Amino acid sequence: MSATVNKALLGITPIALFIALWQSLISFGYAPVTLLPPPGAVFLRLGQQLFTSDFLHEIAATLFRLFAGFAIAVVLGVVIGLAAAISPAINAVVKPVVRVLAPIPKVALYPALLLILGFDHASKITLVAADALFPILLSTYYGASMVEQKLIWSAMAAGTPRAQILFKVVLPAAMPSILTGCRIGLVISCIVVFLAEMITSTDGLGHMLVQAARTFQTVDMFVPLITISMLGLILNSLLHGLRTYLLRGFPEV
Amino acid sequence: MITPRALLQKSAPLLACIGLLCAWQVASLLLNTESFPTALEAIRAVPSILGDKESLVNIGASIRRMAIGLSLAVVFAIPLGLLMGRIKGVASFFNPLLMVIYPVPKAALMPIIMLWLGVGDVSKTLVIFLGVSLPIIYHSFQGGKAVEEKMLWSGAAMGLSSAQRMFRIVLPAALPEILTGCRTGLVLALITMVTSEMIARQSGAGNILFNALDMAQYDTVFAMIMIIGALGIFLDAAFEKLRGSLVRWSKPQHDIPLSFS
Amino acid sequence: MKVVTLRSDALAESEPLSGKPASAMIHIDRVSQRFQTSGRQSHLALSDISLTIDDGAFVSILGPSGCGKSTLLYIVGGFVSPSDGVARVKGKAITGPGPDRGPVFQEFALFPWKNVLGNVMYGLRQQGVKHSEAEAKSRKLLEMVGLKGYENFYPKELSGGMKQRVAIARTLAYNPAVLLMDEPFGALDAHTRTRLQNDLLNIWERDRKTVLFVTHSVEEAVFLSDKVVVMTRSPGRIKVVVDIDLPRPRKRAELLLDARYQKYVVDIEKLIDDTGEDEIHA
Ligand SMILES: Nc1ncnc2c1ncn2[C@@H]1O[C@H](COP(=O)(O)OP(=O)(O)OP(=O)(O)O)[C@@H](O)[C@H]1O
Ligand SMILES: [Mg+2]
Repeated sequence: MSATVNKALLGITPIALFIALWQSLISFGYAPVTLLPPPGAVFLRLGQQLFTSDFLHEIAATLFRLFAGFAIAVVLGVVIGLAAAISPAINAVVKPVVRVLAPIPKVALYPALLLILGFDHASKITLVAADALFPILLSTYYGASMVEQKLIWSAMAAGTPRAQILFKVVLPAAMPSILTGCRIGLVISCIVVFLAEMITSTDGLGHMLVQAARTFQTVDMFVPLITISMLGLILNSLLHGLRTYLLRGFPEV
Repeated sequence: MITPRALLQKSAPLLACIGLLCAWQVASLLLNTESFPTALEAIRAVPSILGDKESLVNIGASIRRMAIGLSLAVVFAIPLGLLMGRIKGVASFFNPLLMVIYPVPKAALMPIIMLWLGVGDVSKTLVIFLGVSLPIIYHSFQGGKAVEEKMLWSGAAMGLSSAQRMFRIVLPAALPEILTGCRTGLVLALITMVTSEMIARQSGAGNILFNALDMAQYDTVFAMIMIIGALGIFLDAAFEKLRGSLVRWSKPQHDIPLSFS
Repeated sequence: MKVVTLRSDALAESEPLSGKPASAMIHIDRVSQRFQTSGRQSHLALSDISLTIDDGAFVSILGPSGCGKSTLLYIVGGFVSPSDGVARVKGKAITGPGPDRGPVFQEFALFPWKNVLGNVMYGLRQQGVKHSEAEAKSRKLLEMVGLKGYENFYPKELSGGMKQRVAIARTLAYNPAVLLMDEPFGALDAHTRTRLQNDLLNIWERDRKTVLFVTHSVEEAVFLSDKVVVMTRSPGRIKVVVDIDLPRPRKRAELLLDARYQKYVVDIEKLIDDTGEDEIHA
């Protein structure tokens, strides 16, 4: 009990120190307020804005793109990853293609996506999906190809038809790996959607940051950054909860 | 002796490249819009970029910033990660902070950092450093944590001091995992580089991309994308070679990097 | 007092063990297994195995590590198809796994995403048994293997011996005619091992399933079996089949003091030692 409290205290310390350092930079006059606003002002502005409809609209736009792209990445990644794991023919095609596409910086494709899909949602969602796809695909693939043979044999001996093995054994057995991929993919989605909005957009949190930067409103530049960090934390802990529930039978890794 | 099968396997990525280019060619011919040039048109525009002195200087400067940012991150992140992996207190101290920073897009700090440090190399290098550090810390942390306690015990029994154990046992044992982190970091450095240049719009590869976009030089846009993509593939393959020779004793866990921005 | 009956594999092949082919449950006919190894070489794991197992018989397989015991079991299970020869169950050639042959693996191979009850119910649900009925049956089975109260535990929360009992219950649940057990008690401590051996004998004496049982323990093989098959080192061949002529039901405490039991154990141990020496001299 007190161990967890200690651990939590130890963990909060650097964040508190960070904020204290930030505050002292201003208090002792090392940084002018125009360049570095005090933390109090930033959190106050965040609190004020949080429930205004404008701000909620920006968050909604960002979240919509984030979820749409992430969902596409999950569906495609899991389907392609499973297919490549169970079919040697599909594997022979998917593996080299992934090998070529995975190390390409996807953000470089963004101008092309803008040209092909336009400046609206579609290009941003596609970019998010393209970036989140590969970690999900690869972890699904590795998870599914590592499934213990004897689990499959046990299910087959119990009368499971071959066609159902994929859903009854391979998918649940690969679940820990798939969820790890999803977790990486989710953080990537947060990052990419923000960047895409910064590069070109008319709404969303990234757009807020660029807008504030253009007018040198430093306080307003920090607000979207902190918001995306919080969103990332919240989404991550939601996924963590889902993971704990789905993997309650699996040993800790 | 090279069997046809092995030859096919070796050339599979090349075939995949050709296949993807063909798919692009067909797609652009079908769509037939001015803003989506064919693969051949884009390839034809590559030499004009690589032949242009100013573009070359730009791209060279980009790569230099990337190399410096990455090197700094490696020097800083590996020791921190290993310490976190071996000492519980250090891990509980830094973990929450890292979790808070993790979902913040590092390239998004560009406007703020530019405000402080100007638009020069320092800002961009700093952003790359920030972006790359996290995965390297994370993987070094995992690698350090996974080092078997018994190995350290036998090291202590042989009379190694704790600092020596860190260098002689923990570092080599965690090396495969550390290198996995560096590989992610490498791809990430490239991504952060391009992104920060797209946001700052001053110079560099990312800037060339958007300038061409603004001036409706669509074949240049796609040619530049190909150059950056090829750079990514090349750097990754080169690093894989290096890693293969460094840790011959360890099987690669993922033969494809988990890259992301 | 009857002494060990030795049969060469040639004999075993020409004349089915019980002499009544009509009651044969498993018939392994000149089965060989060759594995491709790295490079262009191949490894002969099983060579020309012929064996008939009667309905309701308890047959153990003994042999040095790597001689192909598991492989033979997998062939009967239908998980691996032999490179040569045929294996039949009830006269039908084996083409794949089926619920008439239930495996119990040394590694337990429980589904980690299902709790104890879910693991045991799996086979029944797969056979199309209604949920409530499958649950009732599974609960009874778990009670029988001494795991009442652990229905909602996940495999990771169980000890090795408990996992093994769940694995046995999972296989027994869909009532296979043949049990294929691959060193099921290999990883257990001596005490749990003895308990599970007794449990298994009780279940077998009640249901009279056919059991094919792989083990490294001679005592275990003699204690449990009607016949003990001794295999040679690679390539795996049947060296001898030993009839264990001890009265049933067997009580461990009595048997350990029984001179016939002791002689079986000593004789078979000698046979296995010989298999080892053959290898060294060859
Ligand atoms: N899939 C496979 N590919 C190649 N060789 C195999 C394969 N499976 C088994 N073998 C080889 O076949 C031989 C027999 O293996 P098997 O697992 O049946 O032995 P075993 O008698 O069960 O050994 P143990 O008592 O150690 O469990 C071994 O030499 C092994 O190397
Ligand atoms: Mg075996």
